[in-house]
Amino acid sequence: MRTKENIKRYTVFPVIAIGLITAMLSCKKDYEAEPLENVTIEYVFDPNDSLGTNAGNFLNSMYADMFPKSVSRNRIGGNLLDAASDDAIPSNIEENDISKLSKGQYSAYERIESEMIWGDCYKNIRAATIFINNIDVVPVNDSKFDPLPAGLTVKRAWKAEARFLRALAYFELLKRYGGVTLMGERVLQLGEEVELPRNTYEACVDYIVGEMDAIQDSLLAYPVPSPSRNSHRVTKGAAMALKARVLLYAASPLFNGENIDGANPLTGYTSFNAERWARAAEAAKDIIDLQTYSLVNNVKEIFTRQYNEEIIFFKQWGNNKDIENANGPFGFGTQIGGEGRISPTQEFVDAFPMNTGEPIDLSGDYDPNNPYTDRDPRLAINVLYNGAKWLSESLQTFEGGRNKPGGTEMQTVTSYYMRKFMGDFEEATQYSEVQRDYVMFRYTEVVLNYIEALNEYSGPSQPIYDQLKALRMRAGILPGDDGNYGIPTTLSKEQMRALIRNERRLELAFEEHRYWDIRRWKIAEELMNVPLHGMQIIQSAGVLTYNPTEVFEPRFVLGMYFYPIPDSEVLKNTAMKQNPGWD
Amino acid sequence: MKRYLIALLLWGISLPLTWAKESEQDSLDVLYERVPAKTFLGAQTTLTNKQLTTTPSTGYLPALTGRLPGFYTQQNRGFRLTNTAANYNVDSFVGNRPIAGQGVPSENTEYDIALRRQAPIVVIDGIQRDIFSIDPENIESITVLKDALSTIALGQRSSRGILLITTKKPVAGKTHISFTAQAGLQEPQSLPTPLPAYQYAYLLNEALTNIGNQPAYLEEQFDLFRSGMDPYGYPDINWYDEVLKHTAPLMRYNLSADGGGKTAQYAIALNYTDQRGLFKESPAVNYNTNSSLKRYILNTNVNINITERFTLGMQIMGRIQDGNEPGVGTQTLLEALKKTPNGAYPIRNANGSWASTSYFKDNVLAMTTNSGYRQDNMKDVMANIDLRYDLGDWIKGLSVKATTNIAVQSLTGIVRERKEPTFRMAVSPTGDTSYNVQATAIAQSNDFNTVFNARYWFGQVSINYDNSLGKHNFHGSVLGDQRRTLFNYDLPAVTTNLTGKLTYDYDGRYLVQGAVNTSGFNRYRPGYQYGIFYAFGLGWDLTEEAFMKGKLSWLDKLKLRGTFGKTGNGVDNSGYYDYRSTFTATDGRIGSGVYSAGTERSELRGYWENAYLPNVRTWESAYKLNVGIDASFFGNKLELVTDVYQDRYFDLLQTRGKSIEMIGINYPFENIGKTTMKGAEFTLSYTNSLGKFTYFASGNLTLEQSKVTFFDEPQQRYPWQQLTGLPVGVRTGYLADGLFQTMEEAANGASTIGYEVQPGDIRYRDLNGDGVINQFDRTLISSTKPLLYYGLTLGFHVKGIECSALIQGVENREIYLGDQAIHGGFLGFGGYEQAYEPILNRWTPETAATATYPRLTIGNSHNYAESSFWIRSGNYFRLKNVQVAYNFPMQLTEKLKLSGLRVFANALNVLTSAAYKGQDPEVPIGAYPLQRVINVGVNVNL
Repeated sequence: MRTKENIKRYTVFPVIAIGLITAMLSCKKDYEAEPLENVTIEYVFDPNDSLGTNAGNFLNSMYADMFPKSVSRNRIGGNLLDAASDDAIPSNIEENDISKLSKGQYSAYERIESEMIWGDCYKNIRAATIFINNIDVVPVNDSKFDPLPAGLTVKRAWKAEARFLRALAYFELLKRYGGVTLMGERVLQLGEEVELPRNTYEACVDYIVGEMDAIQDSLLAYPVPSPSRNSHRVTKGAAMALKARVLLYAASPLFNGENIDGANPLTGYTSFNAERWARAAEAAKDIIDLQTYSLVNNVKEIFTRQYNEEIIFFKQWGNNKDIENANGPFGFGTQIGGEGRISPTQEFVDAFPMNTGEPIDLSGDYDPNNPYTDRDPRLAINVLYNGAKWLSESLQTFEGGRNKPGGTEMQTVTSYYMRKFMGDFEEATQYSEVQRDYVMFRYTEVVLNYIEALNEYSGPSQPIYDQLKALRMRAGILPGDDGNYGIPTTLSKEQMRALIRNERRLELAFEEHRYWDIRRWKIAEELMNVPLHGMQIIQSAGVLTYNPTEVFEPRFVLGMYFYPIPDSEVLKNTAMKQNPGWD
Repeated sequence: MKRYLIALLLWGISLPLTWAKESEQDSLDVLYERVPAKTFLGAQTTLTNKQLTTTPSTGYLPALTGRLPGFYTQQNRGFRLTNTAANYNVDSFVGNRPIAGQGVPSENTEYDIALRRQAPIVVIDGIQRDIFSIDPENIESITVLKDALSTIALGQRSSRGILLITTKKPVAGKTHISFTAQAGLQEPQSLPTPLPAYQYAYLLNEALTNIGNQPAYLEEQFDLFRSGMDPYGYPDINWYDEVLKHTAPLMRYNLSADGGGKTAQYAIALNYTDQRGLFKESPAVNYNTNSSLKRYILNTNVNINITERFTLGMQIMGRIQDGNEPGVGTQTLLEALKKTPNGAYPIRNANGSWASTSYFKDNVLAMTTNSGYRQDNMKDVMANIDLRYDLGDWIKGLSVKATTNIAVQSLTGIVRERKEPTFRMAVSPTGDTSYNVQATAIAQSNDFNTVFNARYWFGQVSINYDNSLGKHNFHGSVLGDQRRTLFNYDLPAVTTNLTGKLTYDYDGRYLVQGAVNTSGFNRYRPGYQYGIFYAFGLGWDLTEEAFMKGKLSWLDKLKLRGTFGKTGNGVDNSGYYDYRSTFTATDGRIGSGVYSAGTERSELRGYWENAYLPNVRTWESAYKLNVGIDASFFGNKLELVTDVYQDRYFDLLQTRGKSIEMIGINYPFENIGKTTMKGAEFTLSYTNSLGKFTYFASGNLTLEQSKVTFFDEPQQRYPWQQLTGLPVGVRTGYLADGLFQTMEEAANGASTIGYEVQPGDIRYRDLNGDGVINQFDRTLISSTKPLLYYGLTLGFHVKGIECSALIQGVENREIYLGDQAIHGGFLGFGGYEQAYEPILNRWTPETAATATYPRLTIGNSHNYAESSFWIRSGNYFRLKNVQVAYNFPMQLTEKLKLSGLRVFANALNVLTSAAYKGQDPEVPIGAYPLQRVINVGVNVNL
């Protein structure tokens, strides 16, 4: 029955209900529709930003992700890459990433992630291409930056730097895998064709060299304006050094004439051409002719003095004790530190000549019972051996000594520890922080590249002797009566080759050159299929006896000259060809 | 045959029927409403408060194991983990940088739960919240809703099934107060047996010589370990005994009051739970460093009948929970406990300092008792208002309901961690003792982190209409609701649903139901936010039919029912606005590394492309078909509920098959996957009484099978590598054919790349015959049989004494022995870590015939590759829960002026029988151990 009261009652609740409904369902806009901290590309490459701040930050991120991604010399399983060559072995006897590399215990499916960096390189390539494609819209105003020499602009320099970083990523892929897919100027999106085939080795080399030629004149030159702000940037010298190294590798036996897979264009050139050595020599000579870089006199300083005249390009590291903590000799206690992760081999120690420059097997002065006296000064700089001065103590790596006590803790297996890259701690009582950078290209390598290529092309000649003498003089080898620093004057091409290769081994030790050098010279099959040695030193009644012993058995099969393309890539991409020996 | 069966059944029930059933369900609590059981067509199982409270636990999940068909639980640790990690990173330029899209840390860190293989949505009193931390005493009933029709109102969250929890509702009547106090003891089960130090030394030598190295220990050293003459240089300590106690207490107190008159009724419940962990404490430390949990819950429920048409319900629930852990964290501590050998170092050095070595720099006991503590504090307040108005005066059968709920939750962490210095004692040959510091002291920190902050809001309006025209009964409703959640720094997530339901039945015999729902979520790309879901059901109650009524006296109910629907699974897997290509500024902690400029190394900022390609993703969906039979026999003494279902899931989010790395960025999730789940569930219950003695047995059995029908698998080279068509989550690896016994076998056998097999290594089957064991020899190694799990509850009550027991078990389950610390032993880098009893059965030339483990080595990628050698049967059954209770008779309680007094004792995880004896079948070694709980309590009613 509808009375007034009932009407009131009937209307009360519907009114409340409608009020509630409208209150609840009215979508008041309290918040933005999409998160604003994630910006789109127009904000990063902003046509109104004359400082190019965000674009410059994007370039900074590219530097941060440049190889090696996590800057450290001990980047594989806690160890240096050269511990998988015949220069050194890991001190850790347990199976680990670096021992798997030297024994070839990996496959397309089970990769060693820290070294088989397929995906990481392509990420860097993508980032660089995004930058190169988009930087043009940003109106970067040069007056806001450090003044540049005539002919250079900030934007062009940035663009050239991005092209260098991209080419560097391609080179890291090239030396590991052979010819790889060149992505060109495209940044692919979801749905676009990604099943691309590999380009030939030749095409990749030409691409990298072409890029380096194109960007050279847009880059800063050494010394850069305001090094306190700009020393880390890519320079003309860096572009030329990358070009020289690429051409040297391309001219080497593995790719030029001794292709492991017949005429497979992916694993090298299809035939031999001696002119490749000439091009490599010329590219290296161009850097020497710049006369802006020179050899640093005190070898120990190369890695501990920032921005010295030998460094061509580096990755920023910092002020730290990382090298000492990881590789310093074991046995000094945990307050001081030192895990001694890498053990240089007897083969490496034997490669150092006497201080006259004569190899130890030819010199009458070499005493197997006192093997470290009167040796090449570079031995003491690269290796800590028994009796060497370190942290104000005499190193004791004889069996049971302080630095090789035995037992289960990790320590040297060969009685040697690595000294290279460390600060001057011979007289100190503990480690302190060292300003260090990861040096990627330096002048010594350029010189060695030059003489190697020149020798291969035209045999021993005066420029080669001059450079070798300069290196040996810097090293502290005695000039000898004839001023030849122990270099014989009449050498055949093969003998000079062996001398240059040995000199390269001593100068560039532990800098991730030996590992690639034994591959590109195609000598890995001999060197890495025989046991490596260390020195067992026994001290009794104050007398030391030295016994070389076998400490490690590496393994090398033909396919190991290249890494396998990741199995997932080959499976998903029907156009991808696997490297020989890995399928 | 039929007669034989009938006779068998009659034999079981040949006595007069004065029965008192456990619980008669006339109406069921389903999503957002209560419906009569007769017309319900879905698949559900309900547990009442009486069944839940026999389990002594801090939450209700342990009470569900073995009692619900279709609900599978696996425990993976015995104690909750605290959450103390901050939900932001610190940028040196800006300050706090929020981490977007983090979501809520789960209250359930101990169990993996699945309802028909999906993670169920927890709905508590009509509100969707993942609350697991509620005492079973406060719960009136728990229902699982498994099929499409019963969950359809959740729209984009309907695929997952519902775990519906109803707390105690106000009941009109005299004021009734109940107080329960209970205390229990928890004991760890299945702790591993580490090897004594001399045996460890001997086996370590064997492992080292097997890989061609010098042994680490000499003969004399074995004797020193065995004799214990040099406790500092050659200790032998079972760290499990030093670090873990034998028992830990668990106490719970509950106070509840309810009552009310015609106008207003109330129910109030208060709960306090205090659970301690097993870690030892030091008397010198005067604060709590043990794991512990303290929780206070207040639940107030008030129902007011403002007029006879207008009802108002209000509920406030508040929870405060404090969890505690040793300063280093439970996980770190248990890892260290697992890995430290007995002979590594003594507990304390001769001078009283903590002992350690250069490899084991932290002392395990110092980590337990002297590392400070960390706490997480959770505060949660939830308020509900329900309004109901009966518009029967206006249109008969019409009513309107409105609900709104607001909840605020905050989780903070306090980290007060510290470290005491440890020293390595070395005695030189000349007798000088020196102490070298290994771990330096770290002062106690005082860090406060906001871990999680959330605001939830839910509002729903529904219009319901009930009517009958003769034998035709209708019920229709329209519901609209919106749920908003605001987590941490994220933009709000808003889910909107609009559902229309229609139910029709003819004379209670023929039942037809249908529902359509449209559901939208605001984090999908505009234009792709709303979807339509639907479900319908048919039922036939045979016993209501004229031709069946009264015909068969032994058949009381036979109802056939089936439902089919399309449900969705979105919202929680929507990603955080990842349909745009975006870039983030990075400071090096998030995204790419930070770089520095020049020789000064001043910090540079960066910008990086976000990790995934942009993609428009939408919700996953499923077609669910469920057919069931409900039957009761012999005067409802024997009840049978059966459900058979097939769920086809599609549009599942996964990475596409051709996710090629050369594109330089990660591929996003796309809606491309398809899987099918099938299963059958049975529940059979029997209740009877002999005079005053009532007994019951209730069993349930579930069979589940799944199949991945499509996941964009690239074409593999060999057919045995293809995984499409196999069950979800199978394991792949090498097939193992025992161990190589002789040198000839090893020389002729295939081995993994770069490895030379020796006698005692595992022989893998070379499927493609190329002599090398590599990715082309990987295939399916786990079982494809359907999972079977069951539970059986037995009980009786007579004259105030009540007894019940639950047995639960799982069949066709496998365990993978992947923990190399237990099954391989000796791993480490520069030091050798602990080894356990299982490796005593390793292969040696003498024990070749009975060896179950390969020869000992130090790290060996050949033997420890994923293979069928390490698969063991995970079948087990447990006497899970036992309870004995006594209700004091009325005469006694009246004398004490009480309306009821009850004492009880119950236990959890009483006995276990497992096919593989090496570890607890559910909780692996290295996790907080499973506990057996023995609990006694008293309940007083006033």
